[in-house]
Amino acid sequence: MPDAHAVSEVHLLQNYLLIGGLLFVIGLVGFLSRRNMIVMFLSAEMMLQGVSVSLVGWGRFHNDWGGQMLVIFILTVAACEAAIALALIQMLFQRGGNLDVALWQRLREDNQPAYVDREIPEDYDPKQIFPTLTPAGIDPKIREEETIHRTHV
Amino acid sequence: MFNSIEKLMVLIPSLPLAATFVTAILGKRWLKERSHWPALVCIFAAFLVSLRLLSLVADESTRPGVAGFERTVSLGNWVVVEDAIKVDGVTRDFAVDIALRSDPLTAIMLSMVTFVATLVVVYASGYMHGDSGYWRFFTYVSLFVFSMTMLVSVSNFLLLYVFWEAVGVCSYLLIGFWFEKPEAAAAGKKAFLVNRIGDFGFAIGIFLIFVTYGTLNFHNTAGSAGEPTVIGILGPERLAANDYVAGIIGTAIPLLLFVGACGKSAQFPLHVWLPDAMEGPTPVSALIHAATMVTAGVYMVTRCTPLYAMSDIALITVSSIGGFTALLAGLIALTQTDLKRVMAYSTVSQLGYMFLGLGTGLLGGVTGAMFHLFTHAFFKALLFLGAGSVMHAMHHVIDMRRFSGLRHIMPWTHWTFWAGCLALAGVFPFAGFFSKDMILGAVHDKAHDHAAAFHFGYSLLYYSGLFTAFLTAFYTFRALFLTFFGPLKTPAEAHHPHESPRSMTVPLAILAVCAFLVGWVGELWHGYTLLWHTPSLTAGAVAETASPLLTAHRGLTMHFDVAAMSTVVALAGIGLAAFMYLGKKTEAEQVAEFTSTRRGLWGYKLSLNKFYFDEIYQALFVLPLRGLAALSYLVDRYVIDAFVNFCGWVPRSVGLLLRSLQTGMVQFYAMAMVLGMLVLLGSLRLANLFGNS
Amino acid sequence: MMLTAVALSTIDKLALVACFLLGLGLWMLLPRGSSRGKAFGLVLTTVSLGLFAVRLWPLDDMVSDIVFYIMTAVTLVSAIGAVTMQSPVYCAIWFALTLLGTAGLFFFQGAQFLGVATIVVYAGAILVTFLFVLMLCNPEGHSLYDRLSWEAGLSAGTGALMTILLTWTAASVTFADARGNTVGPTIAVREEAPATIPFQSSKDAQGRNILAAQHVEKLGIELFTKHLLAVEVAGTLLLVALVGAVAIVAHGRTSGMPVITEEARRDA
Repeated sequence: MPDAHAVSEVHLLQNYLLIGGLLFVIGLVGFLSRRNMIVMFLSAEMMLQGVSVSLVGWGRFHNDWGGQMLVIFILTVAACEAAIALALIQMLFQRGGNLDVALWQRLREDNQPAYVDREIPEDYDPKQIFPTLTPAGIDPKIREEETIHRTHV
Repeated sequence: MFNSIEKLMVLIPSLPLAATFVTAILGKRWLKERSHWPALVCIFAAFLVSLRLLSLVADESTRPGVAGFERTVSLGNWVVVEDAIKVDGVTRDFAVDIALRSDPLTAIMLSMVTFVATLVVVYASGYMHGDSGYWRFFTYVSLFVFSMTMLVSVSNFLLLYVFWEAVGVCSYLLIGFWFEKPEAAAAGKKAFLVNRIGDFGFAIGIFLIFVTYGTLNFHNTAGSAGEPTVIGILGPERLAANDYVAGIIGTAIPLLLFVGACGKSAQFPLHVWLPDAMEGPTPVSALIHAATMVTAGVYMVTRCTPLYAMSDIALITVSSIGGFTALLAGLIALTQTDLKRVMAYSTVSQLGYMFLGLGTGLLGGVTGAMFHLFTHAFFKALLFLGAGSVMHAMHHVIDMRRFSGLRHIMPWTHWTFWAGCLALAGVFPFAGFFSKDMILGAVHDKAHDHAAAFHFGYSLLYYSGLFTAFLTAFYTFRALFLTFFGPLKTPAEAHHPHESPRSMTVPLAILAVCAFLVGWVGELWHGYTLLWHTPSLTAGAVAETASPLLTAHRGLTMHFDVAAMSTVVALAGIGLAAFMYLGKKTEAEQVAEFTSTRRGLWGYKLSLNKFYFDEIYQALFVLPLRGLAALSYLVDRYVIDAFVNFCGWVPRSVGLLLRSLQTGMVQFYAMAMVLGMLVLLGSLRLANLFGNS
Repeated sequence: MMLTAVALSTIDKLALVACFLLGLGLWMLLPRGSSRGKAFGLVLTTVSLGLFAVRLWPLDDMVSDIVFYIMTAVTLVSAIGAVTMQSPVYCAIWFALTLLGTAGLFFFQGAQFLGVATIVVYAGAILVTFLFVLMLCNPEGHSLYDRLSWEAGLSAGTGALMTILLTWTAASVTFADARGNTVGPTIAVREEAPATIPFQSSKDAQGRNILAAQHVEKLGIELFTKHLLAVEVAGTLLLVALVGAVAIVAHGRTSGMPVITEEARRDA
């Protein structure tokens, strides 16, 4: 019989690989289907987490620091990525007025049809109030001409 | 400084070069109407330096016991390719020295070029006044003078070729000076293209010289470390031993060089560009297309005399082409109505004379040709400048049928024109008489030397030369009488016909005096014997026929019979012209009478249309080439372009298919990535599945 | 030690069902413009996760098992919550929970430093930045684009396919011991293999787990010796990202940035 301990290490590794894989796939599905840029970005971070879980599992299995080292660097890169991506999102939001990624589909070829929503939710009510974070800073004065084309404020 | 021949030699070309730069850089902004000053000052200075050089060279070469004189100054190497070629079992470097040489031939040429150029610049400062390209004109002229002085002083065939091309470029630029005129642009292009044909031959000749002699330098050059001195083409040892190749190569080299000379000096069959070159400003016609550049061919053949003397075939070819061109151009000049064109054909004719003399291979012939080149520069420049003066007064009308009797309003131009015409016609005691007599005398000698090869050919050439002298006298005086005699008539364009300004008449007067004097300098005081101190002119085969002359060191004996003949012939020509054009009948009536017979009409048309050379060339060369070009265009358009377009069309259609993938939705792109990853991972799994079990 | 991936002779049917159920459940849970079917989707994903839980290997002892299962459940459930919630704020909060679960899993593996770092850096810093941006953008709760998905079915299907492949791959990880016995879940262990040879261990000669003892110290030594260059590069990258983010926002400022006017200041 192989060493019982060894076998349990293999099982631990396989468990972690499965969890990492599932985390990765859930993030993937989120990235593919969600249209809010911030949520998409969260999903991407989740995929990174899945990879990190697998790496830590491998690192333990090999009794090696490499896996953990990689995760530390993933953490660093994720931080950079977050800074840049959030800055971009912030800028795009200022330009476009909302966070919908479909707003930026002008990169398509000229003769391509635009992506449009096929169905509108039947219970869609723009007046419905949901909990939001309290805005910070001084509330800017609302100008009439701006409310015509701005979706909020 | 002015006692060192080497320094003077470098100084002469640098002065006009400096003028070129100054005028080119400062001309447009600052000098403007003063643009002629740098050119004038520098070229005049170059003339003074040339005179000093001439006197030094004369002193050096007439020292007792000195047979010949030459001095070479090397300014450095342009190209050195080690062991480039093997000649007679010895490897030789391809080395091009930037070297200037000075001998009597060069010194005389330099003085002549800078002198005529000085006068032409003075003249042009009046003639070109008010032209929008004033500074450009003097830049080009300075550049031309630089190139021409370099052309006559370099001591290497390759550099000779370089400056040969440089004067060609200046000529092109100045013919097309008024490039807004389509005729001027076309004439410039024609001159350039016709010269290309000549230069092609010249280049091949130079290649042949290199592979035959293993060097292109005229002078001896020190070999690279440990190797013997390389004897130059005109090195003293080679001249003394007459070590030149004979046979086929010895014939081919001079003939190929002569093709180049034909192009530059407008000899048949490449003479067609020179008359068209008259589209350029008249001072340019005088300087470049009469006095200096067109004589470059004559200079080059003279410089290569030892090479020509090796082949009787080459010599008779040079003479025949020269004599034939002289006759042809004379015939064409008879009926031209454009004053400048008459002068242009006259130039072609006189250049033919020079080649006729060179082709004799006798010391007298070579001396005569150079002497004629020298005198011709003065009187032909004078005639062109006179024609320019007429043009200036007639407001750019140059058709002789539209004006007459101008002697009443343009006395200076009239009298100086007389001097030029007499010189050109060869009337004693004007310059042309002596030089033309010397050429005809040499041909006469050759024709009566029954031991010489082709002596019968030379006797034919002698008579054709005499006939050409008759034609020359006739058309020259025809032009003179039509322009200055008869009732005063001016074209409508000339509102106030007037004598030209002082800046134009003074050069005319100086040149007129020269046209009278230079013949005496040469003939009576044996000035041309200075030329005999040029080593390459009196060596080898030439010297064999001239040794009595050289040892006695006297001038050539005057051929009184030839002189009498040519004077009679010239006077006959003048008399015929006077009979025809000073009478009551007008030019138009004369022509009508002459063309009333069928043969007369035929001859007249042939002459008027320049023997249809342009048309023949058009049909023989231009049209087939055009057809070839059109064919190439079609191939390019419908075969090559079609292929290229097809190459462009393929990725475009593929792109058209792939375009549909570019939806602009980020998720779509992400999905594509994920699918790719799935395929990779899946194939990896399946490979494991089927590969291991 | 040599690792080989040996194929399964038969694909684990249980895992296959779990994958499909996960895909189906995710599709139902994703915002699709209607709230119908969400409860069913919740049931499906729960069943699927349950099947996966069955699929997991039990570990050495009961306590470890319980802790491990709780961590896993927290991680995966909150992950599903993070991608399916309509409000991005909820998404962010669910994601924070995911990070906590992950940190727990890291602790469970003996990676204490990483667990702490995940909580401090990820949950503490990055996620808070997210929330800041959300606050700045101030989205209006359930806006239209938050209530619709791009091709939810296609995405979920792709996800299911991906899960199958990953599960399969993870399950095929086996290795051979020194005697050439393949050790793994799917190949029958040979009877004659000696039982006494410890073939792989994360314990040193004294029986201590080398990853656990003086963990941070060793990690630091490893990081700043072997990976020093990488650390420097990562530091530079952080600086560049910092400058880049500032530059991007500064450029974006020129258009559409709400400006606090003098009037607004007075009103305040």
